[in-house]
Amino acid sequence: MANDPQVNVQVGRLLRANTRACVAGCLPSQNFPPFGSLVSIDLGQEISAYGLVSDIHIDDDGLVRQLVTTPNISETVIQDNRVNRNVPVELSVLFVGHRSAGVISHRLPPRPPLSLDRVRACGEGDVCAFTSAGSLGYLRFILEAQDLPAADLLAAHLLQAGRAQRDHGDEQWFARAIDKVITQLRDDYVRLMPVLEALADVQRELGI
Amino acid sequence: MSEPLHQNESIGIVTSGGLKENLHVRLNGTPQQVQEGSFIVIDSQDWKFYGIATDLQLQSIDPRYALEPSRARLPEELAGLLDRQTLYTNLVVLPALMLERGPEPDSADYSAWRRAIDSGDKEEPRPMPVKSIPAHHADAFLAGAGDVAEIFGKPEDESNFVIGYTREQDHPVCVNLDKLIQRSSGIFGATGSGKSFLTRMLLAGLIDHNRASVLVYDMHNEYGLDDTASDTGENVRGLRSGFGASKVQVVGLGGSATIRGSAPDFNLVLGYSDILPEDVELLTRELNLKETTATVLDALVQSLGKDKWFKAFKAMKRGATETTDGDKKVPAPDSVAFWANQNGVNVMAAEGLHDKLRRLFNKPYIVENPPADSIQALVEALKKGKHIVLSFGDYESDLDYLLVSNLLTRRIRAEWEQMTNEFRGKNGSEPRPLVIVVEEAHKLLNREMAAQTTFSTIAREMRKYYVTLLVIDQRPSQIYDEVMSQLGTRVCGWLGDEDDIHAVLSGLAGREALRGMLSRLQAKEEVLLLGWGVPMPILVHSRRYDELFWQDIKTSKKAGFDQAKVIKNLYGD
Repeated sequence: MANDPQVNVQVGRLLRANTRACVAGCLPSQNFPPFGSLVSIDLGQEISAYGLVSDIHIDDDGLVRQLVTTPNISETVIQDNRVNRNVPVELSVLFVGHRSAGVISHRLPPRPPLSLDRVRACGEGDVCAFTSAGSLGYLRFILEAQDLPAADLLAAHLLQAGRAQRDHGDEQWFARAIDKVITQLRDDYVRLMPVLEALADVQRELGI
Repeated sequence: MSEPLHQNESIGIVTSGGLKENLHVRLNGTPQQVQEGSFIVIDSQDWKFYGIATDLQLQSIDPRYALEPSRARLPEELAGLLDRQTLYTNLVVLPALMLERGPEPDSADYSAWRRAIDSGDKEEPRPMPVKSIPAHHADAFLAGAGDVAEIFGKPEDESNFVIGYTREQDHPVCVNLDKLIQRSSGIFGATGSGKSFLTRMLLAGLIDHNRASVLVYDMHNEYGLDDTASDTGENVRGLRSGFGASKVQVVGLGGSATIRGSAPDFNLVLGYSDILPEDVELLTRELNLKETTATVLDALVQSLGKDKWFKAFKAMKRGATETTDGDKKVPAPDSVAFWANQNGVNVMAAEGLHDKLRRLFNKPYIVENPPADSIQALVEALKKGKHIVLSFGDYESDLDYLLVSNLLTRRIRAEWEQMTNEFRGKNGSEPRPLVIVVEEAHKLLNREMAAQTTFSTIAREMRKYYVTLLVIDQRPSQIYDEVMSQLGTRVCGWLGDEDDIHAVLSGLAGREALRGMLSRLQAKEEVLLLGWGVPMPILVHSRRYDELFWQDIKTSKKAGFDQAKVIKNLYGD
């Protein structure tokens, strides 16, 4: 992981949190992680929380409200608003596990992070390590989450993780993940079928 | 999922069920890996359970998964993953036996368990009827050769006869011939289902085993001499051809009888004195006799004697009259009417009986003075261990069959009863068991006749006197219930009629589950073994009755037993 170029890329700092989720703030100019990607937050004492970007929220401010109806806004003004804006882009993060003393667990972190803790994007190595640990139990957090587009969040995550696993030589991981999703949702036909249809697109994209 | 199963590979797990409602096993693979009638073994902790597959049911965890093919919405691989979890097959298993196999041999408890058995503190485990059920998620397997041998016996054991092979894996299934002859048995199947071949095979096994004498009432001349198969046109070896005249003798009915142009070993000719009133009474339906028959017969015996009534009655003239001095016509002294008047019998009843008995009077095999007591000769041959095939030759009518078989059986019954009583009174040697093979059994054992014939008595109680029946029939529903219930071993080929199926299964546990199986047997190839004589019901591919079978009988003396094959099945390569 130390050689992974994407490890420890800070993408923002924590705004607020609870035991199940948190919200981080970042500038639009920062290369913030895409929807569904895995992030980690160092909680101290050798504990890190893992979560998935479950929502990206861009709030307006007073200046934007004025500018939005102005005709012919110059590119300089747009860039200035984006780089120097006062209201940050909010990344909602759904916790899906944690690492404690080097051991990855697919349970919620023991405590939420504190405000202004650094939120970092996970590199492929970290993604592989987290998604290979255990038996994919963390998928339940996605499937059980309320008020989230579970199918799309899952699809986005499995695309990232499936690609990472494939590139690291495990082409069966994606099938195992699907199997797990079916196990979790098979008693709910109405929910499962749209999820699988979304995952069918991912499979095509992964080419496996 | 559709790969062939390896030996000792679990086919599924127990998910529900009970003793009354059968066990449900969720299959791991496709339904085609198991077939109805398969012999199933379930491993549950220290016990093994043995049962028979009676049904396969397609199931889904939600009906919508079954109704809409997943391949219509999803790519092949995803659809496969979905189907594997949501669609499955339930195997319904009728549990029959359980066997304590003890702890795992390498566990700490095993040696203590073994010691208890060796020291006599605990009985040696043996298969027993199910009194419990396996636990949830116990693994189910298709029975291996060792399991089949554990339950049905090893082919190499002297008293075991390989009657067929298990459906999927061709493990030999044995019938214990010693047990078979202890009670009456039956072979059933619709016409064309291979009954005759099966019977020939079983009889060959019995004759080869030679623990009992066999008397076959061969109504259609099928069993003694070589025959030609009606469907293939191939030669079918007869029992005498197979074993030789020193073991099997063909007896022809009538003084000059020939069986398909060949002379029998000896002829059976009945004397007038052999015919008793009860022999006539059981022909009531065949001869359309009236209610008055018994009265007339009784008067005949009373007035003419038990040994002479038939001859005298035959000699009487029907309607003969003479004229008296007063020109009045009166019955002649040698007429039926004269005898009736003399003995207080209704003339019309006597004349009616005489008319109807004319069919008997004219039988060429009933003569006044037979050259020898051929019935006694036949009985003696059986007592000495010979096997007899009584061929009816040209006398294939029901009348001939009913009369001769019952008359002969009556004599045999009396003889064996006497021998048994002498043996029990320490005045004689133990009688040799006798198996009487009755074709078209419903003619002799139907509800109407059963009470009158000797056969029903034999089925009910002659086991104590060393005589049992092997009944062969295509309409078991026509056989009297009380007789059917006495049949120990039932070997049943395909039956189409619901009543026949019901009759064959009467008195057996799990008959509802077995009912469908009987109606779906493959004609000529499959039989279901049932009843007291087999440890549990099992469906088998019957052996082929061909020259190979006879080679097995002659060479190994253990028909169908291929030692190399058995060892391979038991221990693998």
